[in-house]
Amino acid sequence: MAEKSGRSPRKNHWLIHCVLILICLGMMFPIVIAIIESFKLPQDIQRNPPTLLPCDTPTQAFNLGACRWSINGYQRVLSIEPDAKSPFGFDIKGTLISVYLGNTLLYAVSASILVVLLAAASGYAFSRFNFRGKRAMMTAIIAITGVPLLTNLLGLYQMGVVIRKSGFPYDDRAFLIIVYVGMFLPLSVWIAKGFFDAIPRDLDDAALIDGCSRMGALFRVIMPLTVPGLVAIFLLTFVNVWNEFLAGYLLVSQNQYKPVMYGLYNFLGENLINLQVIGAACILISLPVIVLFLFFRRSFFEAMVEGAIKG
Amino acid sequence: MEQARRLPLQKKPPQWLRNSLPFWLILPTAIVLFAIQVYPFLYTIWLSLEQRKPTGWVFVGLKNFTQLFATTLFGESAGLTVVFLVLFVALTLGTGFLIAYLLSRNISFTGLYTTLLFIPWVLSDIISGEVFRLLVLPSYGVLSGYLQNPKIFPPHGLSVLTAPPPNPWIGSFPFPPSPALVLLILATTWRALPFITLLLLASIQMIPKEVIESARIDGANSLQAIWYIMLPIMRPTVVVAIFSLTLSGMNGVGMIFSLTGGGPGTETEIMPWLLYSIGWLQVNFNWAAALALLIGVINLLLIIGTLRATRLEEANG
Repeated sequence: MAEKSGRSPRKNHWLIHCVLILICLGMMFPIVIAIIESFKLPQDIQRNPPTLLPCDTPTQAFNLGACRWSINGYQRVLSIEPDAKSPFGFDIKGTLISVYLGNTLLYAVSASILVVLLAAASGYAFSRFNFRGKRAMMTAIIAITGVPLLTNLLGLYQMGVVIRKSGFPYDDRAFLIIVYVGMFLPLSVWIAKGFFDAIPRDLDDAALIDGCSRMGALFRVIMPLTVPGLVAIFLLTFVNVWNEFLAGYLLVSQNQYKPVMYGLYNFLGENLINLQVIGAACILISLPVIVLFLFFRRSFFEAMVEGAIKG
Repeated sequence: MEQARRLPLQKKPPQWLRNSLPFWLILPTAIVLFAIQVYPFLYTIWLSLEQRKPTGWVFVGLKNFTQLFATTLFGESAGLTVVFLVLFVALTLGTGFLIAYLLSRNISFTGLYTTLLFIPWVLSDIISGEVFRLLVLPSYGVLSGYLQNPKIFPPHGLSVLTAPPPNPWIGSFPFPPSPALVLLILATTWRALPFITLLLLASIQMIPKEVIESARIDGANSLQAIWYIMLPIMRPTVVVAIFSLTLSGMNGVGMIFSLTGGGPGTETEIMPWLLYSIGWLQVNFNWAAALALLIGVINLLLIIGTLRATRLEEANG
């Protein structure tokens, strides 16, 4: 983003920085509030009228030394209990972490791997080969994304019911993973094609002349060059599946297989006024994707721009 | 990998296999997309033309559509959706352009600003909704202390999640929007803003510096340069941004789940939530299918518009 601007002299203007700082504060405000709430004591949460910071004393309106912070919210989300048998000496009993988070990890990792494989294969084909109906297929793939998820859910729900009744070996988790793959594949195919297009065809030709087969050229010459692009697709799909709620909520019949966003949604009903618990749950569940994002900022931006401009 | 490494040493595969390689590469994608996207869509079309009678499924033609459109709920929801989309798109586009323009001005700390601005993008809609709910929950939300204070918001204070809608200005068209809908618009904008900013920023950075500079030399001020030079060049991107925002607004439902649940009353029942509520709460799959098709057709029009706009962009660039 900013790498090019390093050379020419910067034109800093205090007004620009003021406006940007204000906007950043506004964007961060809800997140900061959630963090503050998550560290409050239950009795501070339930005060009337509510206060921003739990830092007042009977005599003073604000005293930084008197702030009352607690990890009650996190304790209630995790409900850690000592357990001699576990290797760490304790066990996390909170269902959000012990049940739902594991499900989501399974879904996100396997769906992302499948999406990367399929998108790489078809993106390569769309980028390197000319065949009849190519344009039509590319357009169809992008048009497919126009069918709303809710529309498809009606059919997918019915599909799940039919497969379950037919006695065919059916697993909620496998079904959901395939659904996620289908949901996030179309855009990934376009992104992958874009990344392949950026690699000069001369490289293929050189490999072919040197005696590589088509598959050999793909795996030994082209693939290594697209690794950054494939990582971007993996990360994008991972975050998308991590954040997905509706399909996991409506398509999975057994509660123990539902994803973490369902667990969070459930938390709302269970903790109507325990805002510190809701805050803590939100922070804990979004922390992994925020960390991923901070580490792989460039990858995310590349994939976003590639996907956005094409589709 | 192991197999690929051995490939060049092996005999070349037969001609027909080499010619059909793209077919085999695309086949898995095609199968998955057919099963997960195409088949359910066809099923929805079938569903929207049928009704369940004691005798079994009966073909009823367009009856589902006419019955659905005749309900007051649908009319209300259509009005709410229009208000929601117009305000959401305008707010996101305006703010997004302002941020992108400022970030493109060759200043320090761009990396820090972008990182901070982009964090909402990786948060899920459920979490975004819950975070905004923390702010305004009646009595307990941090901002409720100010919002519900009658001295600040006379006469009774403002409880965002339970307040009744204001009197509409024109007939029963839901404008001005109710506080809950405004909150939903703000939360949706908050989450969509990073993406749109990035899109517009990429487009601004593609504009050659000389074009703007020569306009400035010819005596245009900043606003004139933006209005007469930048915006016309960026028009395809702006169109893409409008379409993709409308698309996400027409289909996003997670935020409503955790923020308002469609309420109070039906004040935030925009189209996607209405679809969920008809299909899964009232278990009327046929009406839901009819509504889903309507949304699907609007989406397809939007996608075609986006594709045409990008083709324009490619032709220009």
